[in-house]
Amino acid sequence: MDNICNDARVTPPWEGQGGGPLLRELHRMTSRRIYLVAAVVLPLFLIAFMATIFGTGQMEHIPIGVVDADNTASSRSVVRNIAAVPTFEVLHHYADDAAARAAVQRKDIYGYLSIPPRFEAYMLRGEGATLSYYYHYALLAVGGEVMSAFEQALIPVRMAPIVVEAVTLGATEESIETFLLPMTSDDHALYNPSLNYSTYLTLPIFYIMFQILVLLVTLYAIGSERKEGCSHSWLASAHGNILVALTGKLLPYTLLFICEALLANVVFFYWVGIPFAGDMCLFSLLTVIFVLATQSVAVLLYTLLPALSFVISIVSMVGSLGATLSGLTFPLPAMHPIVQYAALLFPVRHFTVAMQQIVYSDAGFAACFSSLAVLCLFPLVALLLLPRLRRILHVCPHDTLE
Amino acid sequence: MCVPMIRWNSLPLSLRVAWRELQAIATSYSVLLVLVGGVFVYGLLYNYMYAPNVVREVPVAVVDHSHTALSRQYVRWLDATPDVAVAYELPDMVAAKSLMTQGEVFGILYLPRDFATLFYEGRSSVYPFYASTDAFLYYEAMERANLLVMEAMDGDYRTTLLPFLSLQGLAAVATQSPVTVVGTALYNPIEGYGVYLIPSVLMIIIFQTLMMLIAMMSGRERQQRLLAPYACLRSNHTRLALSLVCGKSLTYGMLYGVFSLFLMGALPLIFDIPHAASGLSLTVLLVPYIFSTSFLGLALSRWYTDPEAPILFIAFFSIGLIFLSGVSFPLELMPWYWCAVHYIIPAAPATLAFVKLSAMEASLRDIAPELIALCMQTVAYFLLAVAVYRRKLKCGYSSPHEKG
Repeated sequence: MDNICNDARVTPPWEGQGGGPLLRELHRMTSRRIYLVAAVVLPLFLIAFMATIFGTGQMEHIPIGVVDADNTASSRSVVRNIAAVPTFEVLHHYADDAAARAAVQRKDIYGYLSIPPRFEAYMLRGEGATLSYYYHYALLAVGGEVMSAFEQALIPVRMAPIVVEAVTLGATEESIETFLLPMTSDDHALYNPSLNYSTYLTLPIFYIMFQILVLLVTLYAIGSERKEGCSHSWLASAHGNILVALTGKLLPYTLLFICEALLANVVFFYWVGIPFAGDMCLFSLLTVIFVLATQSVAVLLYTLLPALSFVISIVSMVGSLGATLSGLTFPLPAMHPIVQYAALLFPVRHFTVAMQQIVYSDAGFAACFSSLAVLCLFPLVALLLLPRLRRILHVCPHDTLE
Repeated sequence: MCVPMIRWNSLPLSLRVAWRELQAIATSYSVLLVLVGGVFVYGLLYNYMYAPNVVREVPVAVVDHSHTALSRQYVRWLDATPDVAVAYELPDMVAAKSLMTQGEVFGILYLPRDFATLFYEGRSSVYPFYASTDAFLYYEAMERANLLVMEAMDGDYRTTLLPFLSLQGLAAVATQSPVTVVGTALYNPIEGYGVYLIPSVLMIIIFQTLMMLIAMMSGRERQQRLLAPYACLRSNHTRLALSLVCGKSLTYGMLYGVFSLFLMGALPLIFDIPHAASGLSLTVLLVPYIFSTSFLGLALSRWYTDPEAPILFIAFFSIGLIFLSGVSFPLELMPWYWCAVHYIIPAAPATLAFVKLSAMEASLRDIAPELIALCMQTVAYFLLAVAVYRRKLKCGYSSPHEKG
């Protein structure tokens, strides 16, 4: 890397040309593989990873077990009902609960249904027959699906004996079902009716991981100048104007990141098939502002802590907090208030809010205005601190802290 | 300068390497920052953030066009559930939908004009409940609460509908108790999100910080040509590479042994997260995990040219590792190639094995597939790391300006 800086002092290829820092940065970018890999290969890998990791995205054919200690026509009918549910794949019939529990322990299965002895006899006599199901909740996501599928599948089984007996006495099936469930809720899962994991996670998780990459690459691009003692050469390429120097340096990365983010949108919405209800222009605008805001945070952090090895270590850890603070996995309002306030400092939080409004609810500009406005504040704050960055580059051109 | 640590010449080379590595770690602020920040601050912070564990009082809006005692009771009971809070009672769906778009409410209960009329006429009264899927935990909480209230109301009011069952003897049948269905959550009695996620995060922290530590140390080693003195030693390069890999890994192993005591010993006790694993089974898991990670980091150091650049590759993928571990999304449903990657990166099987040990009270036999994968990784990455260091010594870092 020193070559580039030193060579530049001898015959700077950008001297006397318009867009000096931009040409200089393009020269730097193409001189080391790391820029190509970090700014191009990794984002493309990320798009491929997120587009494929969830398979179909549907929690289907989850392996479960059955313990049928009754072995009667009724119990076999219950087992057939369970086996017909698309969520489940009945992997094995176990002799007792202990064997099924051991299989759960090994994670061979994610849950099991236990039918006790004399189930049919109790059921036909109406003496409180009981069905028990167990689901794996140390793995909460899949456990929740298993529980929900068991509940849905066993609703008809609950009422089945009463319905059968009432029908034999001459009642219509409809009248007895109405009697048993007079009030019936018709539940609608909005935006994602099939509760598809790919629809839920692909887009936000991509942007959470992408923002870490944007932060790190931007920091590295700026910080490596001082690390390699090239600050003066960088400033000189812009005739001492820090705004021109910074814009020229970051512009190639900004354009790359924006193109990659827009490509990701196209891949996810048109190839992966994530439903998109909103305005694509507005979402693209949000994507562009998000990339700029994230880069601004990197500039801001470097200005406040101008030691590459330190700030890159901190960002590498803080960046991952975006997953938590975006409120995607565990809702933010359920967390401690201090965590909720801290989340406001992360562009990814505002992006996630606006993204969900646009993608899910077809929200217009007015609805996501506040999130967009806050995202625009990040570049403004970074601009305010540019004089300090210039002073750092000018007065302390070498970053020797390790 | 050619022979390092002359005072320690009597000690085996690997021990001298280990001591020197420890010294280098202790004198680098940025490395100490990664260790203190990554292991201690991050460990505490994650536990603090997920300490609430469960979602309560999800705000929903109610549009009650029925305006009857029955509908008011439904709304009161829904509000009384721990999962849901009725935040707004609105005159129409437009207002409710607008609040949902703004993120003020996450569900809408609509009770139509004929809600009570149909019920008292002995007909089925169906009403819609709309739940947003912005966050699955919210959706599950709302669905659970609504189902609970529906069942409670149906059970409570069923007897008032007996006159509609005109046939003789039917009343006796219809009041029989139906089949009771009991669901039990295994291994997570409080059904907490933190209880589910934190054990995985702790294992990923170990992997990521160790990979970053090795990257920073190796990058500096390459940048400052710190291997050059070893290359001058009159010993064959394979033996030297063995000493270097073993010595460095010994230091990392010792450090992470101590960190594991904090992450797997102290934190679970402080924050009451699952800690069912015995000391022995944890040791059996962590030894191959830490060493396979260490060898993998040293093998990858072939491409590390400065202390900062490798962090770009390592740090961004932390969340991806959670998915690859199979803790969040079942491995069985992933494409085969990502299942294969699961067995290549130490963090993936180790995280799954740790969840089994700590939360599910699994025995060593239950984590055998993951242990075998980790042991195979340890051997493979060890050989790879030795080969990489042998090559480094042969090259002797003659070209400090090598392109990275």
